[in-house]
Amino acid sequence: MLSTLLSQIVNGLVLGSLIGLIALGYTMVYGIVQLINFAHGEIFMVGAYGGLAMFTYLLPTALKNHWYFALPILLIVGAAVSVLVAVAMERLAYRPLRGAPRLAPLITALGVSVALQEAVRVFYPNATAAVPFPTIFVPGTLIIPIGDGIPIKYSAILLVVVALALAYALNTFVERSRMGRAMRATAQDPDVARLMGVDPDRVIVLTFVLGGALAGVGGILYGGLYNTINIDMGFQNGIFAFTAAVLGGIGNIRGAVVGGLAIGLVKALGGQYLPGGTAYDYVWIFVVLIVVLVFRPQGFFGETERVRA
Amino acid sequence: MSFLEVRDLVVAYGAIQAVRGVTFSVEEGQVVSLIGSNGAGKTTTLRTVSGLLRPVSGEIVLDGTPIHALPAHKILGMGVAHSPEGRRLFARMTVEENLRLGAYTRDDEDGILSDMDRIFDMFPVLGERRRNKAGLFSGGEQQMLAIGRALMSRPKLLMLDEPSMGLSPIMTQKIFATVKELQSEGTTVLLVEQNALSALALSDHAYVIDLGRTTLSGTGRELLADPRVQEAYLGEGVAS
Amino acid sequence: MTTIEARAVPTAVPRRGRLDGLWSALAPRATVLRVLAGVLTIIGTYLPWATFVLNEGPYPDKATLNFFVDPLGVTGFRLHLLVIGIAMIVVALLGLPAAGRIIRGLGWGTIAVAVINGLYILVQGGGFGAVTASDGAVAFGAVVALVGGLVAVLGGTAGGLGAKPELTWRLPWWAEWLILLVVFAIVLFLVAGVLTSGGQGGVVNPYAGAVFLSVLGALGGAISALSASGLLTWVSAVSERHRIFSVVVLLVVALLLPLTSAGTEYWMTVAANIGVYAATAIGLNIVVGLAGLLDLGYVAFLGIGAFVAANLSGAAASEIGIELPFPLVMIISAVVAGIFGAIVGSPTLRVRGDYLAIVTLAFGEIFVRSAQNNIGGLTGGANAIPNIPAVSAFGQSFAAPLTIGAVKLPSGVLYYVLIVLLVAAVMLVFANLKNSRLGRAWIAIREDEDAARAMGIRTGPVKILAFMIGATLAGLAGAFFAHKTGVVAYDSFQFIQSVTLLASVILGGMGTIPGAVLGASILFVLPEKLREFADYRLLIFGLALVVIMRFRPQGLIPDAHRRAELAPDAEDETPVVDVTT
Repeated sequence: MLSTLLSQIVNGLVLGSLIGLIALGYTMVYGIVQLINFAHGEIFMVGAYGGLAMFTYLLPTALKNHWYFALPILLIVGAAVSVLVAVAMERLAYRPLRGAPRLAPLITALGVSVALQEAVRVFYPNATAAVPFPTIFVPGTLIIPIGDGIPIKYSAILLVVVALALAYALNTFVERSRMGRAMRATAQDPDVARLMGVDPDRVIVLTFVLGGALAGVGGILYGGLYNTINIDMGFQNGIFAFTAAVLGGIGNIRGAVVGGLAIGLVKALGGQYLPGGTAYDYVWIFVVLIVVLVFRPQGFFGETERVRA
Repeated sequence: MSFLEVRDLVVAYGAIQAVRGVTFSVEEGQVVSLIGSNGAGKTTTLRTVSGLLRPVSGEIVLDGTPIHALPAHKILGMGVAHSPEGRRLFARMTVEENLRLGAYTRDDEDGILSDMDRIFDMFPVLGERRRNKAGLFSGGEQQMLAIGRALMSRPKLLMLDEPSMGLSPIMTQKIFATVKELQSEGTTVLLVEQNALSALALSDHAYVIDLGRTTLSGTGRELLADPRVQEAYLGEGVAS
Repeated sequence: MTTIEARAVPTAVPRRGRLDGLWSALAPRATVLRVLAGVLTIIGTYLPWATFVLNEGPYPDKATLNFFVDPLGVTGFRLHLLVIGIAMIVVALLGLPAAGRIIRGLGWGTIAVAVINGLYILVQGGGFGAVTASDGAVAFGAVVALVGGLVAVLGGTAGGLGAKPELTWRLPWWAEWLILLVVFAIVLFLVAGVLTSGGQGGVVNPYAGAVFLSVLGALGGAISALSASGLLTWVSAVSERHRIFSVVVLLVVALLLPLTSAGTEYWMTVAANIGVYAATAIGLNIVVGLAGLLDLGYVAFLGIGAFVAANLSGAAASEIGIELPFPLVMIISAVVAGIFGAIVGSPTLRVRGDYLAIVTLAFGEIFVRSAQNNIGGLTGGANAIPNIPAVSAFGQSFAAPLTIGAVKLPSGVLYYVLIVLLVAAVMLVFANLKNSRLGRAWIAIREDEDAARAMGIRTGPVKILAFMIGATLAGLAGAFFAHKTGVVAYDSFQFIQSVTLLASVILGGMGTIPGAVLGASILFVLPEKLREFADYRLLIFGLALVVIMRFRPQGLIPDAHRRAELAPDAEDETPVVDVTT
């Protein structure tokens, strides 16, 4: 009993770290441009496919078997692919719509999301079904000796460590650096930020770059953990991540991570203990989403009053 | 050639023209005021000069260079700082962070630190509370911080929009004294004020903006004495 | 002391464009350019377009050098080009008030036709066979026609587009009735012609997609030219004057479609499917177009209606083993969907804007997941609910062919009639609501919710009503859908279907009835025609959403109110055709 509970908690925290990593991109973009970047989940997916393509077709076989070579390369390539796509998306789809009525960019985001997913399905070999992903880290499972033993994959440990480290690094960057200050200023009052000499275009691009890089890394870690990727992974996890971002108070970096962990736990524990079992675990997340949006749209860590409506 | 020249400026929000023919100039080292009633187009004019708005037509020339097609951050880089109406501090950031944002375009760390010290000398209360969030400050303190923030870019031209708004008379006096001090240090100041009396008293030159047009101009003293100005903007009993 | 004289400042400054120099340079030669465009288009028509027989046999209406044998012997896309080319010359020489605008429209049509057919022949020939010399012949038809189209756009724009004239002709009532009859008859044949153009897509008919797109391109050009001439506005004003007459005639015309070339089982089924989505899209249009509330899970209401009907149909797989008469089933489906609509709409009391969109998306996902898991045994899960019996009345099954006297009508014709009546009813509801107090309240909320509340509109109930009514209409369509297709499965109601419905509302034009119908038609006919591109369907669809939002956010048929809101630059409309190419 106890070990079931504990291993579900472990599962929840692992998934939650991943969702939190994706949620950071949602929360930053919304904070800066007030756009629900619907396509952010696809940026995560594209990173995974980009990394896999590099691994499959470009990486010399000699390097494939040594995770300490392959892993950093994969992470960098995954992040790079995601960043490229995210920046192109901002430049081509969102930027021309600045100042347009709010529905327009949201619908554009939907279109980008569908197009990216379909582009991968059509152009990536055999992407119609799930594609196997290599084990990118020490294979195998660590068993924590409590009760009947709590299994945790090494790649899951990697995911949690990398995700939390990146979130910490991002938080430090935004709190301490000059560009980070410019980002916060733009989020609070874009006009005055411009008066301070902040170029809004640079800040927005930077936001998409950071969010894209985190999502790309997330895509690789996801592939390494589950050893399979599919084109739906972006949509599903993207919605979860959006839920996490709202839960944590959109625009709030720490909130996104905590929200991600909470969503992970809801899915793992809900699938274990709530009626309907794992078949309904997605449903609980959507229920949480609705309840939060209706009763506490500022999230659990958000300011009660946002600077701008 | 004046330091700043604005000619036949027309600015519109959609179909509504907020400014429909504003012309004025600012000489180097002067304090120049734009006065006029609420909604006359003064704030819109400043927002256009600093590049937040694009004019429909007209020209804005700074030191011989047309700037009306430049984005805000380029205009700041040319030495124009704008402290907006209502102060608009970054409420969730500390005093220091606000000042550092004022110096966003600079990368001389030593210079930034010494300028920050200079502002703390000018407004000691800011120095005492440098790590406090700006949102917790009183109106007067916020105005000091707003001016300090604008000064951090070492502007040649400082534009202040309604610095006395919502302040006590004593605080208003202090702010206007600061403006005078800045002028003596060589900063050119463009002031937008509803408090016409104080503004005119301190200005080398002033313009009246009415319904989006510049209607009168003269030295501060001349406008103070003008019956039309007295009637419209100074109220009863100040004519003496 | 100076008093500054108020100087005259221009109140409206003409927009300065990057191409101003080009336009003024070309302006004096505009008429020459326009005539030249027509001539080029005609020459392009008569030049050969392909120098070889395509792999799947001769491309329909492949042009060869047959001018001297049979001067007017052109068919298909070349006939369209010939007509367009002649029209360009005539319009240019007559000097109509909006000649520039008309010719620009025709030019876009020519470009569309030339590009579609040229590209198709090129791609099918594998290489540049169509534009290089081969077998001693040169196939420059596409290139010349394309140049003709470009010259038309240039010449049309350069000489000044000209204001769209406002025609105020009034004729005696019988003459206006006659005109309307003729116009609607033409519309009937156009619809039948467009629907069947290129034939049924698929392996046996590889040209269907290209032919269909080409027809759409030509039609788009013609419509934008007619619209520029002011004739369309005039006809719609006439039909507005004889509103009831128009509605009746339009209904009759729609019911006559089975008697045209589209009267086969296949096209009746396609038309019925379009009808289902058109009715649903009109319902969605109430929520999105009128009340301005974005719903990303709307297809769930269609699904709820369909599952309710399936369960009450007496199908063997349904949990509730009862069979109720179809009219009653429709009402129950609509009511159940409406109740769910109120539930989904209730968060609007507290949530606004894009957060509301996400709430509706979450509801939609909950519905799909629950249906997938066969919740309560009501949805059949992955097995779906199959074998739903066809509707029948007076011993006549709706799925069977129908014979009235000597006239034999294909299978599915009764379903077609039923869906036409259903769509007509839904349109009626929409039109009446739009002009009612409730409709004005919705529009007020869409424009500015706080202002609406300040004016005394009780925004909460009014918004929930929008969701409820929209959902009810979708539920009606769902009941029809269940019986028509015979199978209801959860995967017909996924997120992508909601996006498609939303896209059809946006593509057609938010807040307008013809818009939603046109949007639904385009989005659900194109996949039928473009089977060989089926793989790319959603990819193109996603990109199209992005492009529409960028270049024509107000849709193909913009609502008069919305026009100002979504398109800052409504003066300079992009032509209709560029969306269809």
